[in-house]
Amino acid sequence: MSAMSQVTGLAAFELRGATRSRWVLIGAGVFAAAAVGATVAGLRSFASLGLAGAGAATDGLVQVALLLPPLLGLLLGAGSLARDRERGFLAMFASQPVSRTTLPIATFLGGVVAVWAIVAFGLGAGGLLIATVATLADLAALATVVVVAFSVTASAVAIGIAIAALASTHQQATAAAAAMWLLLALGLDLLLAGVAPGLRLGPSGLLAAVLVNPIEAGRVLVLLLLEGTAALGPFGAYLSDRLGRPGAITLLGSSLMAWTAGPLLLAVAVTRRRDI
Amino acid sequence: MPSLRDATPRLRVRGLTKAFGRHRVLDGVDLDVPAGAAVLLTGDNGSGKTTLLRCVAGLVDAVGELSIDGRGIDRSPGSRRTLSYLPQSPGLPGWATGAELLQLFGRLRGSHELLIDLPARFLPPLDRPVGQLSGGQRQRVAIAIALLGGPRLLLLDEPAANLDEEGRAALIDLVRRATEQGVSVVVAAPSRGELAGMTDRVVRLAGGGIVAPGRDVARSRDAGRSCDGPPPGQEEVAG
Repeated sequence: MSAMSQVTGLAAFELRGATRSRWVLIGAGVFAAAAVGATVAGLRSFASLGLAGAGAATDGLVQVALLLPPLLGLLLGAGSLARDRERGFLAMFASQPVSRTTLPIATFLGGVVAVWAIVAFGLGAGGLLIATVATLADLAALATVVVVAFSVTASAVAIGIAIAALASTHQQATAAAAAMWLLLALGLDLLLAGVAPGLRLGPSGLLAAVLVNPIEAGRVLVLLLLEGTAALGPFGAYLSDRLGRPGAITLLGSSLMAWTAGPLLLAVAVTRRRDI
Repeated sequence: MPSLRDATPRLRVRGLTKAFGRHRVLDGVDLDVPAGAAVLLTGDNGSGKTTLLRCVAGLVDAVGELSIDGRGIDRSPGSRRTLSYLPQSPGLPGWATGAELLQLFGRLRGSHELLIDLPARFLPPLDRPVGQLSGGQRQRVAIAIALLGGPRLLLLDEPAANLDEEGRAALIDLVRRATEQGVSVVVAAPSRGELAGMTDRVVRLAGGGIVAPGRDVARSRDAGRSCDGPPPGQEEVAG
């Protein structure tokens, strides 16, 4: 039995578990409804101004896609290993001829595919509405939103799994994942708005603040990809001057990859050493 | 069937010590389990029965020597190829069916073959999610999982939990047939109680060590087979 076959078997099992979870299905429904709502609102606002295209609808989808799916990813990742360890099922896995490395990686793959399916379902529902008025550029923009949302949710699942590996109980892991979402989705923005003027962070400080937050990095990345550095004001000018648009895109993309690989490596290291 | 007097025991434990914080649960435990032997580990709650099994299963780090058929046990997958562990609380996910669980664990073990044929009606309907099964039916599925892939050492932590009379009888028969095939079995339970006659020897854990190694007379007499190891009291060294 190859390690790859074990990983795919466990990942498929995790995915099946996610698709049969009432809470995941409710989350998928809420996200799809929010995506459709944002699309309809965006299309109506453009139409009321006598404009053609789907720009406002796509902007609405960016906000929704970078808000709810990361929460689902964090909760799904945090729930998996911690819940299985608490109820004894992880001991059954870990006593099989399976490398400890396999467990968090398979959990990650199963969780990522589940959350990506939710993202594709929700954004797909919005996309169907956009398609009624869309130009080719609008569809390309929607594809960009999907790719960035996939990257951000992958980071969220990885962070959730790292939390699960470190937590003592399922409850602790879930609470920590919810707190992490509040911090990343809202808290850091509010903190930055509060302290940035006093600390005189400057553009380099702002860039650092963006890079330490995968949700914010995703938001800036999608703006750069869709509208260029001009959409980011003075911060965009700084990025353009220091890194150029391709350089800034590469840096932000790398940050998201690091936010996926880093927590996953941490989860692997903890799972390999920790008693089960 | 291998002789119980084989020079290399199937499971060899030497100086096993495990502490949680300052509390030493196991303190220099020595234990040999020959091929084809069944040993019942008893002891009060917190005496270290589960911890001992978890150490052997590679789930927790401990100080001491552990080997199966002379090969040291560590956390590598190869170490666990020859053993199978049934936890005290298997915690099977309620959404999965018995068939899906057997399929998954068979895939992880590289074989969907059960060590021994299960009695008719031992397993509940495998197409039902285990969340819809009773505690005893779930335990039967977990026992079947533990028999996958031809293990040479079975570690069963309170396997009779939730089982009805028929289930316990089937479990005792399963252990007997497994040992007849040369498989070694270590069963943990608070007391001999309902498991009397299942094993060759009873080993009692207390204060971090083995305090009362001995022979399960009931099984030796009932099963009509010899447990021809050294005399009780000389098989294990108290920790």
